[in-house]
Amino acid sequence: MIRKWLLKLGVLLAFLPLQAQALLTIEITGGSDAALPIAIVPFGAEGVNAPEDISAIIRNDLASSGRFAPLDEQDLVSRPTEQSQVNFADWRLLRSEGLLIGKISSQDGENYQVQFQLFDVYRGQQLAGKRYQVPASGIRALGHQIADVVYETLTGEKGIFSTRLAFVTQVSASDGKKRFALQISDADGANPRTVLQSTQPIMSPAWSPDGNQLAYVTFENGKSEVFVQKLQSGQRQSVASFDGINSAPAWSPDGRKLALTLSRNGNPEVYVLELSSGELMRVTNNAQAIDTEAVWSPDGDNIFFTSDRGGQPQIYRVPANGGRAERVTFEGNYNASPDISPDGRKLTMVHAVSGRFYIAVQDLKTGALQVLTESGRAESPSFAPNGQMILYATEQKGRGVLAAVSVDGRIHQRLSESGTIVREPAWSPLKK
Amino acid sequence: MKQHPIVQTLLAGGASTVLHVLLILLLVLSFDMPTEIRQLGQPEVEIVQATVMDEDLVLEEMARLQEAEDSKRAAEEERQQKIEEQLEKSQQELARQEQELLDMQERARLDAEKRQQEAEQEQQRLKELEQQRIEQEEARQQAELERQAAEEAKQKAEAERQAAEAAKQQAEAERLAAEKAREEAEAQRKAQEEEAKRKAEEEAKQKAEAERKAQEEAKRKAEEEAKQKAEAERKAQEEAKRKAEEEAKRKAAEEEAKRKAEAEADLQRQLEAEQAEREGRRIKGVVDEYSLIIQQRVKRFWIKPATADSGLEVTLQIRTLPGGDVGEVTIVKSSGNAVFDRSAESAVYKSSPLPLPSDAKAAAEFRSFNFVFRPE
Repeated sequence: MIRKWLLKLGVLLAFLPLQAQALLTIEITGGSDAALPIAIVPFGAEGVNAPEDISAIIRNDLASSGRFAPLDEQDLVSRPTEQSQVNFADWRLLRSEGLLIGKISSQDGENYQVQFQLFDVYRGQQLAGKRYQVPASGIRALGHQIADVVYETLTGEKGIFSTRLAFVTQVSASDGKKRFALQISDADGANPRTVLQSTQPIMSPAWSPDGNQLAYVTFENGKSEVFVQKLQSGQRQSVASFDGINSAPAWSPDGRKLALTLSRNGNPEVYVLELSSGELMRVTNNAQAIDTEAVWSPDGDNIFFTSDRGGQPQIYRVPANGGRAERVTFEGNYNASPDISPDGRKLTMVHAVSGRFYIAVQDLKTGALQVLTESGRAESPSFAPNGQMILYATEQKGRGVLAAVSVDGRIHQRLSESGTIVREPAWSPLKK
Repeated sequence: MKQHPIVQTLLAGGASTVLHVLLILLLVLSFDMPTEIRQLGQPEVEIVQATVMDEDLVLEEMARLQEAEDSKRAAEEERQQKIEEQLEKSQQELARQEQELLDMQERARLDAEKRQQEAEQEQQRLKELEQQRIEQEEARQQAELERQAAEEAKQKAEAERQAAEAAKQQAEAERLAAEKAREEAEAQRKAQEEEAKRKAEEEAKQKAEAERKAQEEAKRKAEEEAKQKAEAERKAQEEAKRKAEEEAKRKAAEEEAKRKAEAEADLQRQLEAEQAEREGRRIKGVVDEYSLIIQQRVKRFWIKPATADSGLEVTLQIRTLPGGDVGEVTIVKSSGNAVFDRSAESAVYKSSPLPLPSDAKAAAEFRSFNFVFRPE
């Protein structure tokens, strides 16, 4: 009896793996970090010769993000411009997950009608679609805007193609004198325009949270001085010209305050300046060390800064209204120039190893530090407003260039190929 | 019921007295109903022979009584007849005298008439003379009538005396007869009683005998029955035992057959189970192998969203077509992140056609199955 029972049990157990589980389940973990294949079909131009190739702008944006792998144009099996012309099976063969089609037309050559549709190729569904009317001058911006929509639709994150970069260029004029310029450009480095020129160094541009103002440091008056400049009007105002060093401005998230490094009392310390009242509050107080490069946490509660109070530069955190500072970085003997991701979870910094400088990112929760760059001359990291990319300056062939790296280190971008030296980049907030 | 001897005696005495009175009454009042006597005297008797004997006795007795009665009645009749004869004789005499008187009267009348015609004087005198003589005659006749009446009264008295004597004699006779009858009745009663007693004894004896016999018979029957019953029981038991043994044998045989069959079935099952287990293992091996191949393929095609939180998880159910083509993909359990879900779906679609085992049973496992996608 028992033998029989055991036998049955044995049979049962033998079938258990197949029978107990109603359905076979295969687990997929990890996956590929590859860029998402997307087919971007050149927009159909009906009777017009558009001043800008809008689909090229979109393709470039998406490709430069490193997150998308647009199909080569010669690989496109067909060139539909509207849904009725789309045969999804064709695009599935190309293993393209997304398909972007559109049209551009104009009656007068001045105003343009633009429409696009984004499809999920495998499910045969439209994911996004819009119509716009823009002047000729707005076509490039619209291209970035559509790229943002595509990016956000397919990645779930905000697109940053419509944001801007601020940076300082340095050119050596024919007279041998150096010319410094504060410039802003589109996020792809295109369309640069100068907002300030000086024969004296310009440093540390910082975007106001609304993206309408820049704070920066100039030496135009023979000493360091912090200005705030409205971008629309060009109107500017000196906000800090204390004795000693006036540097490293950083906007509070509410845009009402600036954190600054001042040595008005002899030793560089972090202060908070209330812009409306000019009231100054000292945040750090450590006479034996340099405390500088302040940056706000997104909630405005804390200020991260660089200090050599431990003998080497390390990142510390202090409550924004003063208090005891605590050390945040521990790996390596040089960590400086902090920036905090928009979600407040990551810290990026310049991380030096054996005299070489790298961009690193540290998870504030776990403390895990990851070095993102390979060349050893990186500086001034700045988070993109979607937190996915880090803009930084580096040197290439002896010249300073702008580059960006994704927070996971997979994607690297070169933003400027101009002959100028580009330094001190800052990524604008998202367009409001 | 057991009775005291005295009570029995009293009862017997009472019964005999009653019987006696009844007998007398019957004998006096109704001699023509002899059967009543028998019936009354023997109310419980049922035995025929005894009744016949009784009847004879009674009839004999009755005859005697009848005889006595007859003789008595004959004497009375004789006496009455004599009285009547005497009365008749005197009446006849009177009638004769009356006739004679009438005749004489006729003659006288005729004579008178004649003499009347002959002589009226004479007639008158004669008439007077006749009248005289008639009156004398009438006186004489009257005297004679009176004498006759006296004689008749004398005779009547004698007759009455004789009747009284006869009645006395009769009464005596009756008394004697009654006495005799009583004695006879007593004798008869005694005889009857004895007979009854004898009969009762006989009956009792017979009854006892009958009872004994009946008991014996009953006993015998009971014994017989018991014997038969015992026999029947014994037989039944034997039969039952035999049957039980047969049943036991049959069951044992069946049990043995069943056991054998089960053992064979067990063996068969064991073999089948082993076979099934081997088959199951084989299939599982194939399924595992292809699961790995499919996993690698899908993993290669899965472009994981860069921002996918490590906690995300989406479960998809897929249906495959015979060639391994992905037919249908449904989200069984969403991760809550549309981009993540879509990336998994796309990965599955992009992996189509999936490599499926050629073994039908193993391939069946892949007809419909689940994918779980996790970032890490």
